[in-house]
Amino acid sequence: MDSPYLELRDVTKLFAKVVANRHVSFSIQSGEVVALLGENGAGKSTIMKILYGLYHADSGEILINGVARKIASPKDAMALGIAMIQQHFSLVPAHSVTENIILGNASGRINLAAYQKQVRELATEYGFDIDPAALVRDLPVGVQQKVEILKALFQKARLLIMDEPTAVLTPQEAVKLMAFVRRFATAGHSVVFITHKLKEVMAVADRIIVMRNGEVHGDLLRASTDEKELSTLMIGRELPPLPKELAIPASAKEMLRLDGVSIRDAHGGCGLEEVSFAIREGEIFGIAGVSGNGQQELCEAICGFRPLASGSISLDGRDLARLGIRDRIGLGIGYVPADRQKDGLVMELSLAENMILKSSYDAKWKQWRLLDRPRIAQYANSKIQAYSIKAPGPDAVVKELSGGNQQKLVVAREVDNGTRLLIFDQPTRGLDLGAIDYVHKAILAERAKGKGVLCISTELSEIFALSDRIAVLYKGVIQGIFKKTELTTEKIGLLMAGYAIDAEIPNMTKESAK
Amino acid sequence: MINLLSRALLMSTPLLFGAIAEVFAERAGVMITAIEGIFLLGALGGFVGAYLSGNLYLGLLLAIFTGMAVAAVYGWITVYLKQHQIVTGTAISILAAGLSSYFMRVFFGTPILPLTVEPLKAIPLPLLSQIPVLGPIFFTQNILTYAIYGIVPLSWFILYRTSLGLTIRSAGENPEAVDVAGIKVDRIRFAMVLLAGAMGGIAGAFYSIGFLGMFTTNIIGGRGWIAFAICFLGNWNPLGVLVGTLVFGLAEALAIYMQSSGTMLLPNELFIALPYILTIVLTISRKSFNVPAKLGIPYRKEN
Repeated sequence: MDSPYLELRDVTKLFAKVVANRHVSFSIQSGEVVALLGENGAGKSTIMKILYGLYHADSGEILINGVARKIASPKDAMALGIAMIQQHFSLVPAHSVTENIILGNASGRINLAAYQKQVRELATEYGFDIDPAALVRDLPVGVQQKVEILKALFQKARLLIMDEPTAVLTPQEAVKLMAFVRRFATAGHSVVFITHKLKEVMAVADRIIVMRNGEVHGDLLRASTDEKELSTLMIGRELPPLPKELAIPASAKEMLRLDGVSIRDAHGGCGLEEVSFAIREGEIFGIAGVSGNGQQELCEAICGFRPLASGSISLDGRDLARLGIRDRIGLGIGYVPADRQKDGLVMELSLAENMILKSSYDAKWKQWRLLDRPRIAQYANSKIQAYSIKAPGPDAVVKELSGGNQQKLVVAREVDNGTRLLIFDQPTRGLDLGAIDYVHKAILAERAKGKGVLCISTELSEIFALSDRIAVLYKGVIQGIFKKTELTTEKIGLLMAGYAIDAEIPNMTKESAK
Repeated sequence: MINLLSRALLMSTPLLFGAIAEVFAERAGVMITAIEGIFLLGALGGFVGAYLSGNLYLGLLLAIFTGMAVAAVYGWITVYLKQHQIVTGTAISILAAGLSSYFMRVFFGTPILPLTVEPLKAIPLPLLSQIPVLGPIFFTQNILTYAIYGIVPLSWFILYRTSLGLTIRSAGENPEAVDVAGIKVDRIRFAMVLLAGAMGGIAGAFYSIGFLGMFTTNIIGGRGWIAFAICFLGNWNPLGVLVGTLVFGLAEALAIYMQSSGTMLLPNELFIALPYILTIVLTISRKSFNVPAKLGIPYRKEN
């Protein structure tokens, strides 16, 4: 029998003595779509980065067509026909599509017109609608991903590795991507599809490799497995379901109100256009949408980081217009930002210091006008216990904690800051299922206390699991506000892509024709 | 008037060498904050070489070598050791000021009269220099000024029409993309720093042996920083830089003209300060910059 197109044998990789991959072995056939399934931190990306030459294995070998190969750099990988689309695209935003595609693949004088033609032909061949002369920074993320794929195709890749490719896509775009993957495989090429979403695995894969804690925990044919089996293999245990949600009492008061809020954005980001909604006590108001459609701007407008071009925001009947950020924190607004490392924490400071980051001026932390360190440490310790944050103690430097524990820390702090309103922007991004479950329960618990919650997420499952009502944000415009029961995945997907689905739905703001 | 414009072109020459050097390095992601020091030691190297050998071209060669040596130190520290570019460059510039006095003493002691060499001569081009008005302005210049006629379009072509240029620009915008394409980011950056050293050395030598025919320790007087600023003002584009250097060259020519003409309409010091004031005014008034996204940030591979 022929040897498989590609085979990994006993690959082990350590990061500073922590095992990232342990004796990983599997093979990939020509014309096969292999899904690499696992939670965050399961070692999926690591093993593929080894295959792509970005990391170097500590032991083990890689065989291509039965011959052992050394892949020391992405250049080596490319020479062997291996290309990888990473989660963070390695594109140059200021350059054109064509310039990005030929980077490293052209020499001497560049005949741009000829290359543009070549890129256009390649794009047409695979049904991608891309202008080769467009600047990458002007393209939506979904299209940027296509540029990355074209780059791989331009290099005549035989094996395409895609790391969580659907994370940045609308459901419709994801469907198209799957179609491309199938088509690419039909031509005799191979695809490795890294994901933690079971649905995608079932939709696209021929074979599924399940990873957990850096090891392979299953190598199954799609036809002979199901989502339940995969889920158990992936997590290693079963998660208890979320508590049943409570109905919002009719007497619940409206607390946060936005009226015609518009923001101009001078920096090329997304602004907001006439955004209006209201949140009641004990309500979780979910906002769905592909990232970069004004979510962060919305949060920052409410918290006071961004001036409004027009419109008003009020909390408990009080207009926030003249209040600064600190005043708004004082009113009880808590904010868990999407980028916790950049906007939520000071990575070099200790856990305790981060806990009081937004309230350090408060008299409750002070004695003789100086910070009362023992009291702060005690407080931090109580939160470490309450949220089961895995940390050596309140003096631990935050950058040494795992992402999930960092997020728990931010959530713990903001839950205390936000006595009235909690804003969660991507509360579970990059967390493993256990931590996600924890954060979700914390959000629901705060809701039960009668706080208002604004929950923004690009993960539809999260939006559906938590929200009482759902709004869809597209290019800074609210596409409609719905009760959870009024929406299906398909409907919400259309809205996320900017299509209006139903003119009868109230509150609908028509998106101006592009 | 013709004299003034001819002088403007002359005075913009070293700024252009420096600013183009800066464009290449900054496009690749490295600010040459050591440029003032490179200018100064280039000026010294050029003078020493020319004085000792009696040949201006050997002086230029030594200037290039000196500039590259300074740049190599700077590049080693910032590109390979990943140290902070502003701190490193400023330190090197200050060190250069000390070194230049030191080496002047070592080589020449303390002469009573300043030592001089015969500066670069203008070479009138046959026929072309006979054209009225244009001839004296454009075609009666020294060899370094002629060189910039070629360097500007060539730099533009390399940056925007060759794969090397694409790699350089990508290294400053998103070095990871360059790395993934299988090209060594640090190597490209270091090469650009060396190139900048060579061109900065020539620029420095222009002041000592191309123009004054002597060396003093304050000969550069911040012109390295002006070249640095022109790179920003010219939006990291050789053509923009050309416009910028011409404006500054004119300001400098005007200062020299006013100084020598003896008219006392305005205090002379004002004209001498003109290029510096201009730098500040233009930097403030310039609205949008296409700063290379990763300018000044060392490239570290994850793990």
